[in-house]
Amino acid sequence: MTSVLLNIVWMVLFFAVIITFNQRLQLYSYQRNVEKAVVRLEELATKSKEDAINSIKSFAPEGIDLRGDISGFLEFFTIEPVSLDPFGVLKRLEHLLDIRRSRSVEFVSRIAPKATKTEKENIEVILEAATAVNYIYKVVRHFLLLGKKTKSLMIFVQLDMQLPMIMKQAEAYYAAQTTFTAGKPIGDGLGPLVASKLIFGSPQKRIAEDIIYSEVDIEKRKVIVLKAEGPGGVVGKPGEAVKELVEGLEGKVSRIIMIDAASKLEGENTGEVVEGVGAAIGDPGPEKYKIEEVAVKYKIPIDAIVCKMGLEEALTTIKKEVVEASDVIVERVKKMISERTKEGDIVIVAGIGNTMGVGQ
Amino acid sequence: MKVVMVQKSQRNTIVSIILTLIAFVLFISVSLFEELADLSMVIMIVGLVLLAASWGVYFLSGKSAPKEEVENVITVIACRNCGQVEERSFAPGDYIFKDMGQCKKCSGPSFIKSIYSVSPKKE
Repeated sequence: MTSVLLNIVWMVLFFAVIITFNQRLQLYSYQRNVEKAVVRLEELATKSKEDAINSIKSFAPEGIDLRGDISGFLEFFTIEPVSLDPFGVLKRLEHLLDIRRSRSVEFVSRIAPKATKTEKENIEVILEAATAVNYIYKVVRHFLLLGKKTKSLMIFVQLDMQLPMIMKQAEAYYAAQTTFTAGKPIGDGLGPLVASKLIFGSPQKRIAEDIIYSEVDIEKRKVIVLKAEGPGGVVGKPGEAVKELVEGLEGKVSRIIMIDAASKLEGENTGEVVEGVGAAIGDPGPEKYKIEEVAVKYKIPIDAIVCKMGLEEALTTIKKEVVEASDVIVERVKKMISERTKEGDIVIVAGIGNTMGVGQ
Repeated sequence: MKVVMVQKSQRNTIVSIILTLIAFVLFISVSLFEELADLSMVIMIVGLVLLAASWGVYFLSGKSAPKEEVENVITVIACRNCGQVEERSFAPGDYIFKDMGQCKKCSGPSFIKSIYSVSPKKE
């Protein structure tokens, strides 16, 4: 009898717990995951800010409130142009990006006047990485607090599902900052590295913002190779440079070959070299648009050669596999030029990416 | 320095499931075997403790502390004249195609040919 009663009590207790606390338990489980992620993100954001301060400290003038200034700059934002009326949106976006860049340059010059040009460019990207980590932390924290306030299971479920990707991104930006501080070449520098290998030892001229170019002879073709001016962490305006070069040559360009790093899909190998067509450039839009526009205007074919890598690999020190892939790409470019153009033709080769740690 | 997160959640989930199964087997066995009827209270308490432990393992454990890995970055210096290649660890100020002065072997011009990171060997 006691056993039967005990079983009934058990059943009632079990269903009471399941029915009453089921959602609460789920909420608690998801909330805990998000809280743990926020703790880690806070740690990354704090470390990232401290690292940025430490790397700039030696270049800062006396009596400056470096901590306050950097804390303020980490909150810096850019409002995207209105796209309800898309006419001229890329020009407006470029204008805003130019203003953001000039504000960043001004700020770095003020807080680190003792730094060289290369060091200033590296500080700019260090601050960009720290801003990204800080932003991710603040957004995730916002949703955690919002979820707690509204006790919304849906907010926590959605956040929890996206956490692996968010954390991967935050860890990648943090790791990138460490690489930027040391001024080491990064995976995204593959394009500039290939361009440098093609022009090494040739005289260079400056064109567009932070972009240099050089003319080399490959299989009796005039090849104009351009890249961002290293070894500082800049990407420059390759679209502007391509446009200026093509317009300067009145469209007499046989091909435009673009080389860039591309994000790999899971299962693909780092350093895999793939060919395609189109403007291989991952900018917010204006530079890509300029290349496509000028290519369409003069009916110039655009070839793309990309090297596959993950986000973290693109932002941290270049891997041996990627360096080896750059030699493969140099050979592919030469083969492409000899097979798809005639003697005397003019070809533009653009090495796209951040040229940190890559000279020329 | 590269930070690596080690996932522990999969192992903890398995431990949690095993604890729940043991508790379940204990509860069932009391109903199936009359000989255990006298021990029903003890088994119930043991089962509850196991269930609590299972929940504890599942909810309270998670990712372990991040493990830091030291990145191994190599700088390759080559001579333009004799092709002599020398490898050393990366030093601040190094960049690819930097002029490195005279070659130790032939006194020709040397430069940084390459810089790359090598993944640490997995244990």
